[in-house]
Amino acid sequence: MIDLSQPQRQSPLAIVLLGLRALRSLGVVQLAVLALFLARGAADGRLVVIGVLVVGLFTVNSVLSWWRYTFQLVDGELVVTRGVLRVDRLTIAVGRIQSIAIEQELLHRMTDLVKVVVDTAGSAQAEFTIDAIPRPVADELQRQVTVRSPVARGVAAVEPERPAERVVFQHTPGRLAVAALTTSPWAGLALLAPLLAFDQVLIEPIRNELSAVAPDGDVANVGWWLVPIIGAAVVVFVSLLNLGRVFLADWQLALRTDSTTLRRTSGLLSRTSSTSSVARIQVLASSRNPLQRRAGLHDLHLSNAGQGDMHLIGCRDDEFAATAAIAGLTAVDDLALDRRVQPAEIWLRVRNTFVVAAAVSAGASFLVGWWALLAFVAVPAVWWATWRHVRTHRWSVGAEFATSSRVVTSSTQQALIRKTNVVRVTRSIFERRRGLARIEVATAAGTITVGMIPIEEADAVRDVILHGVETDHRSWM
Amino acid sequence: MSERFTNEPMVVDDLPRLHHGAFVSVDPRYVRGQLAGLAGSAVVVAGIAVVVSWQSGAVLWPAIVGGVLVFALVASAILAALEARRIAYQLREHDLSLRSGVIRHRTETIPFSRIQHVSVGRGVIERFLGLATLEVSSAGPDIAVPGLSLADAERIKQVVAERAGVDDETPDDQTPDDEPAGRGRDARNDWAPPTPPAS
Repeated sequence: MIDLSQPQRQSPLAIVLLGLRALRSLGVVQLAVLALFLARGAADGRLVVIGVLVVGLFTVNSVLSWWRYTFQLVDGELVVTRGVLRVDRLTIAVGRIQSIAIEQELLHRMTDLVKVVVDTAGSAQAEFTIDAIPRPVADELQRQVTVRSPVARGVAAVEPERPAERVVFQHTPGRLAVAALTTSPWAGLALLAPLLAFDQVLIEPIRNELSAVAPDGDVANVGWWLVPIIGAAVVVFVSLLNLGRVFLADWQLALRTDSTTLRRTSGLLSRTSSTSSVARIQVLASSRNPLQRRAGLHDLHLSNAGQGDMHLIGCRDDEFAATAAIAGLTAVDDLALDRRVQPAEIWLRVRNTFVVAAAVSAGASFLVGWWALLAFVAVPAVWWATWRHVRTHRWSVGAEFATSSRVVTSSTQQALIRKTNVVRVTRSIFERRRGLARIEVATAAGTITVGMIPIEEADAVRDVILHGVETDHRSWM
Repeated sequence: MSERFTNEPMVVDDLPRLHHGAFVSVDPRYVRGQLAGLAGSAVVVAGIAVVVSWQSGAVLWPAIVGGVLVFALVASAILAALEARRIAYQLREHDLSLRSGVIRHRTETIPFSRIQHVSVGRGVIERFLGLATLEVSSAGPDIAVPGLSLADAERIKQVVAERAGVDDETPDDQTPDDEPAGRGRDARNDWAPPTPPAS
């Protein structure tokens, strides 16, 4: 009988695995540079000494890490003690553990040991890993956790039969083309990135041609009338590239649901399929620029707990509403966004911009003379943008926390109150002088912030949100 | 198991408030720890300045750079002392709040039902001073309450871990009648926080 209430230490093999992990944490690029550095200076005795010291340091660190790392199950909690200089004592209620996986890699198979990965599903990565323990210990740990954790038990159990999947929407090539042409085209330049690998073959000749047209960098002979034509040609070129990018990545973009999960599929050459449970959706954000507004399309972003955010381009109003409904949210058009922010933000932004512009102008005046005053052009621009933001910014709190604003691009963010993990009220010096505050509602995948509201309102909204979270016992993830 | 969910009208003024007077300050030794850390940095900076000055033979530039860094360290020390006076926590039946920040005041609250795990960490200086940091992790942002005595940190950790575990194990259909769960009904503390240290 294995007594897990007593601290358990890993197998000494874990020293090797810890060392390898520490080495990996340095990063592939850094390791490659280090290898190159050592290879080029191999004859230098001092480098060998440095190498020996580094290896020794890693070894000592690995041994101490192994010695310090213990785990035990006490009163329904998994207690892990780890750390060399800083000792951390991690306590996880067993009921919180989402899954406990037992894996066996090559080194483990050779030594008849296993690796245990414990996940509490709050983080993108596994919560922690026990690198090498005998299988009976791992089996006992898994058994005790599974017996006590309803969540982990659900993971281990046979999955119930799922309802049939239905298609929420699927984009036609025409819709994708409109979506591509109405978004910022610069992302299409990413398609050119592989060309950088052929610098000598492709880019060097172009550079030589340009040098021939304007020798010694003298471009005065080139007519200025060419500038708008070149500009238009560049825009057309990058738009076509973006069209190609969207067709490659989002071909036959479709969203499907079986009421508990969402599945996004797309792709021309390589078909990708990402699935998320509906419960994992934390924040729904949308944005649309003036062209998209004219075309009646939205870009949607579903932020999920852990990894696997979903980006859905070119969605019509009804598709936006359907996606929001699946996530348990209200369509933004139906939300009573009845709260506003204080105009004090305009003064703050304009004042800060003025100070920066004055500093830049003073510094640049030595170089460009009176032209330095052009820095102050930013002041009315910032004033207009902030004034427009304050005028259009609306937010509300009810069953969900939602905000909406429109400067040039309009954007919305919404999250169910019960998804809140942390509520934060902050006050800068500027806000304190004016009795204002900022409220931040943080979920497991993103934060929604509303600033420049009266402190009494921020405190009241925090209390409403906490009440909502602490009295609502429905699943939130 | 049926889920009991109500949606009665609420008066916001009736909701339990986060009382700013009920925050408990951290241990005064925390200031010493912060200042000790900064003093260590100052020694390192001064050492580098002396070595550079000795190696290069220059005096002016190392002195200027060292002076600026010392000024920054003094400013940091003042800020750290002020910050230590502001850091305070409040433990209620259903959540833990942390107050911090000198230039930007922050009050953050994490409901127990959203806590993923809780731990107590101790750095070298903290171990020397007998202090500890309570680290509370959620699926979103984390909260760290520094400058607690080790005993307080362990007690709070125990309470938080128990509360975070109890919330999930309570069947939903028992909650409204059997458990004083709602802030709307009662947010009293039935757990006595550690006595605030004498200032």
